[in-house]
Parts: sequence; structure tokens; C-alpha cells
Amino acid sequence: MKPRTTRARVAFVVFIVLALTAVFIVRLVDLQVVQAEALTAEADTKRTLTRVTYGTRGDIVDTNGAVLADSVERFDIVISPRVTLLRKDASVAVLEDLTKITAIIGGDPTALLTMILDNSDSDFEYLAKGITLEQFQAVDDLDIAWLYYELRPERSYPNGEIAGNLVGFIGTDGPLAGFELGADECLASENVEASYARGEDGVALPGSSVEALEPKDGGTLKLTIDRDLQFYVQQRMAQTAQALGATWATGVVMRVSDGHLMAVSDWPTLDPNDFQNAGDADRGSRAFANPYEPGSTVKALTAASLIDAGVANQRTQVVSPYALELANGGGVISDSFYHEDQRLTLAGALVESSNTAIAQYTDLLDASSRHDYLQKFGLGETTAVDFLGESTGRLYEASEWDPRTNYAVQFGQGLSTTSIQMASAYQALANDGVRLPATLVEGCYWPDGSITDTPSKDGTRVVSKAASEQTLQMMEMVYSSSGSAPNLQIPGYRVAVKSGTAQVAEDGGYGGSVVISYAGIAPAENPEYVVIATAGIPDSIYSGAIASTFRDIMAQTLTSYRVTPSSSSGPDLPLRW
Amino acid sequence: MSTNLAYAQPQPQQRPDQRPSHIEIVTTKAQRKARPRALYAVVTVGSMFAILAAQLLLSIVVTQGAYQIDSLQYEQKILNRTEQSLLESLSLRSSSQNLAAQAAGFGMIPNATPYSLNVSNGSVFRLPGSADPAGCGGACGLVGNSLLTGMPLASVEAAAATTAAKAEAAATAATATTTTGASVAAAPEPANNAIPAPVTR
Repeated sequence: MKPRTTRARVAFVVFIVLALTAVFIVRLVDLQVVQAEALTAEADTKRTLTRVTYGTRGDIVDTNGAVLADSVERFDIVISPRVTLLRKDASVAVLEDLTKITAIIGGDPTALLTMILDNSDSDFEYLAKGITLEQFQAVDDLDIAWLYYELRPERSYPNGEIAGNLVGFIGTDGPLAGFELGADECLASENVEASYARGEDGVALPGSSVEALEPKDGGTLKLTIDRDLQFYVQQRMAQTAQALGATWATGVVMRVSDGHLMAVSDWPTLDPNDFQNAGDADRGSRAFANPYEPGSTVKALTAASLIDAGVANQRTQVVSPYALELANGGGVISDSFYHEDQRLTLAGALVESSNTAIAQYTDLLDASSRHDYLQKFGLGETTAVDFLGESTGRLYEASEWDPRTNYAVQFGQGLSTTSIQMASAYQALANDGVRLPATLVEGCYWPDGSITDTPSKDGTRVVSKAASEQTLQMMEMVYSSSGSAPNLQIPGYRVAVKSGTAQVAEDGGYGGSVVISYAGIAPAENPEYVVIATAGIPDSIYSGAIASTFRDIMAQTLTSYRVTPSSSSGPDLPLRW
Repeated sequence: MSTNLAYAQPQPQQRPDQRPSHIEIVTTKAQRKARPRALYAVVTVGSMFAILAAQLLLSIVVTQGAYQIDSLQYEQKILNRTEQSLLESLSLRSSSQNLAAQAAGFGMIPNATPYSLNVSNGSVFRLPGSADPAGCGGACGLVGNSLLTGMPLASVEAAAATTAAKAEAAATAATATTTTGASVAAAPEPANNAIPAPVTR
């Protein structure tokens, strides 16, 4: 009996021990294996802190490195109204603090107090957004315990409206226009989140950092734009547009040797710092996005095409009447002002800008060849810049030209181009007949020293060197002998230029509205810069109104780049016979 | 010293069939020397404590380092921010609009018309008409910059500074008349405002 009782006791104890062990093992496995992940995560949230390290979005700079778009740090002040109001007589003390804060950051302390009292249950409210470093430091020095600060990376455009249409802007949800959007791949940065265990005083515990990646900074986008020239061009075009009562205006300066756009101005323009106040139509770049019928500036391209094809030269003669009945049944075309019959050479036709003369030369070459020349000049397709929202303009196939358009395209009606396309076409004339890709971006300069997005330098031959030189000589005659010549003179330089006055198509016909422009090249004997000044729907319907604007922009370009003055005098071609 | 020393004991003659051994195991001097002594224990325990102490010290140093890193990182952040803020201010001040407005404040007028200097006779050639025919200058504000709102004109500050300097000069004039007179006389006036030109043939 006795030994049996002992055995039973032993068995009982052993059973209990085993049972308890089993329970512990089950619990252990549950904690260590089944729930391990959740528990670890929960523990981490209690003792670790996640800090976002911001990468810096790349700058947009001009060709000389002047900053057009800059990343800056701003700060938000964050509060927890619930905690703030826990104290005794909180609102009195808070109002006192708010008065000190608003003395630095501006604003109405009572309004802020009302905001806090209205959200008394909330744990997260912004007291102020986007304050500067100086304001942040001053507020921080007040030593107010209930304020928290958050970093807010923002974008600043220190040059305001200068190249604002090109640079674009960033809204609250990301880039919205211009290069900010179009070149986001270059500019964008990547932020990293690092989490680490913190001690009681917030200092990271040694060796506890979970993630130690460096944030990725964006690249610097270098434009070909020269800020100072851009400023001048924008100012001069704004002056002109206001004086002429124009609806819009563009000004373009292009370097001949590499097709770099030194200035591209749009009016009305926008200040990226304040883009909300810009009209919807002003948020892009008109110079790229807004095609118009260019008018007589195309006559220079026509002349170059005819000479290159070998069907005409500077002295080819026609008799130009005021009005001409087109032989193919296209109706009557006329010149812009009444005149008796004129016996003009091709050079004279450019100087007089005679539509009836150009129409007669047009018959010397078949339509598809003329179309191909215009196409090679870059009309009807986007330029190599491929700017956001860039237009192709419109150049119809030769087979689609009606009898009238067949002639009209050769003096710039019945087709449309952008200012940049015209600048690029003139660059071909200036560059011995080789059109280089229009370039607005020099490259994306990465923090590691590598450069991407460098422009292509492959040119297209449009016309022969001889044809381009002869065309420039005829355009010099416009500079020296046309009616607007006195307003064009830049002492010391030979300039090749052509005016353009184009009617604007309205409701299926041409009305009284025009686009006036001057496009030119200087120095004519050794071309370095192309300038085009264009004003849309001005009060004046004569291109001469914009001649002095062209001259000023060209003179500013020549003097700021210290272009050597011409050492020889211009040609003296016969204009009549 | 201890009881586990391997002294060879004569084997008791328990089994008569076993021959008594003639060979005895004798520990050599080296073996006796190799036996554990208290010193070893002391050294072992001592090193353990030394290691623990070193670990503790290292840990303290690392922790101290963490604070130092934190403080230096904070300092770096502040310096970066200050640098960035100053650069921001610099690029705003160097913006074309600000420079143009400041220049206009000093009475400067932009001029795009080139002037040619004839080096043989020193004459200046240019088209007739005033510089900046549109009369806009840098002050017309046709190319805006909303960030420049409230930017003070240096010319006003300069004028104030000049006034202050003049007042100071007037105050010190009584005591330092001779010095002032000498420095004014040192600057030569260009004759008839003519442009100095080299003589060429």
C-alpha cells in the first residue's frame, strides 16, 4: 500500500511537471515563432524612430551656371492642440506664446488660437507652413515646448519670370510644367527613411540603424539659355508687345555654330514662384507650342531653295504687278501695298517683299521639290528640343496643296510654324546650309560627375553653301535698302534680315489680324547669331513696327557676346532691271 | 599540496599470480612544475575582469561617440542649412531684376547700341539718339520677380551711408584737415574728359 501511494504521487508530480512544460513550450513557440514578427514590429514602433532624409532635387541653371530653379528648405510648425490645451489656463498662456510667434512669422494670434480651440481633440495641426530658416530659428529660440517642426523641401525661382515659361513650376503634388515636368527624370531626387532605436534623450543607440542608405540627389539641368540675355529679350519683347497692343509676343536668339537657344522669351509670361496667378494660356512656352502662319520670313527659305535647285539666281528677273491672276486658277494674289508694275530681280523681290514676284518664281520649281526643301528646313516637325507641348506646326503634303496654297506656302501662308522652327530654319541659312538640331539643354550633370542628355550635333544639309551665301547677300539688301532699313541699322555690323507680316486665319478666312515678325542673322559675312522677334495680333499691321525691337535684341546679342564687327561692307546687288 | 598527485603507490599483493612490477612511474620535474597553481586561477579570473572592464569602457566610448556623432551631425545640418539659406539669398540678390533695379537706383541706363572707338583719333562713333530709346531702363519692372517684393534699393542705403560718412568727415575735419587735403589732391582729373587714345600711324 505504501509503495503504491508513493508511486502514484510520483506519477502525479511527473504528470503535472510534464503538463506545465508542455504549456510553456506551446507558449514559447507561440511567442517566438507564431507571433514573433508582429511582436517584434510592435516593439520596434515603441523604441525606434523613423527619420526621412531628403534627397535634394536638382537645380536648373543657365549656360553660365546662374540658378533658375533652386531647392530650398522650409519648415512647418506642427502642434497637438489636445496636448497643448491640457495645462491649466492653457488658452491664456497659448495666446501669449502665439503673439510672440506671429511677431516673427506674421499672422493673427487670435485666429490661430481659435483654430487650436476648434480642434481641441486633434493631435496634429499645422500652425504654420513653409516658414524660412531665419523664421524657424527665431521661433525655435523662443523655446516654446508645444511646438514641433517638420522639414518641407520647396522650390524657389530666384530669377522670377526670367525663362519662367521654360523652367516650369511645381505644384503641391509634383511638377506641372516646363522642364520641371519634362526633365523630371534628371531633376528628381529620392528620399530615404532610416529607422533606428533611440535612447530616452532621442540620440540614436549605437549600431541600431536599420537602414543607412544615402538619399539620391537629383542632377543639375543645364540649359543653353543665357539669363542676362534672356532678361533683356523678355524686357524688350514685353515693351514691344505693350506698345503695339499685341496679344502675344515671342523672341528667340539662337547661336549659329551649334543651334543653342540663348534666349527664348514668351509674353505674357509667368513667374514660377507665383504660377497660380498666371493665365492658363501663359503657362507653357508659346515659342514652342504656338504655331502661326509666318508670312514673308519664309521668302528667304524660298529664295534659298530656288537657288539651290539651280532654277534661279540673285538676278533672275520678273515683272511684278500689284495683283496677279494665278495661272492655275488659284485666283488673284496681291502685294501688301499698291504699286505700278515693278521689274524686280530675286534680290529686289525680297527687298520689296513682293508676293506677286515670289509667286512667279515659284513656277520655276515643281511643288514636291519645294515641299521637300521646306521640310528639310525643319517645318512641319518638332525640333530636336522636343519641349513639353511642342507643336509640329503644319506643313501639308504637296499633293494636298490647293492651287492657291501652292503659291501661298512660298510666302508663308497656308502653313504654320513655331518661332523656334523659324529660328532653326534661319540657322540653316546662316550655317552654310546645314541645319543643326535646335538645342535647349546642354546636359544633365549628375552628382557623381557623369553627364547625360547631351545634345546631338548631327546636322542636315538643306541647301548648298553657295545657295545659303547668296541668300544672305540678298537679305543684306533688305538691311540696307528696304523701307524699314533706318530702323534696322546696327553700326559696325552687316546684318541679313527678312520681315514678315502674315494674316491670321479666322473663321475659315483671313481677317484683319496679323502676326508681324523680323528674322535675321548677324554678322552676315560670318554668321554667329539668329534673332527672331514676333508679335501676334498687334494694332499695327506693318512688320516695320517690330524692326527696332529686332535691331535692339540683335545689337544686345552682338555686344554682350563681343562679336567682332564686320570689316567689309555689304554687297550691292541690283534690285531692279 | 593537493591530494590528486599521481604518487606511485606500491601495489598491494592481492593476486599472487601477478608479478610485482619493477618499474615505478615517477613524475618528472617538468611534470610537477606543470601542475596547476593558484597563480593560474588568479590570472584567469583577472583577465576575465579585465576583459569585462575593457568591454564596459569600449561601450562607454562608443556611446560617447554616438552623442558626439549626433551633435556633429546636428551641427552639420545647421551649417548646411545656413549655407543653403545664404546661397538662396545670394542668387536672389544676383538676379537680373534686382541688379537692374539697383543699377537704375544709381541712375544707370542700359544701352544696346554699340559704340565704336576710333583708336587713331580717339573719336567715338555711334548712331544719334539717346541710349535706351524706349526709356525703360532697369526700373520698368516688365520682367517680374515676386520674390523681390520688399528688396531694399542699395542706392538709398548708399545715400544714407554717404550722408553719415559726410557728417563724420565734417566732425573729424577740424582735427585732420591736412590729411584730408593731401588725399584729395592725390586724384588727378582727366583733362577735358577726353578719352585717352594711343597715337597710331
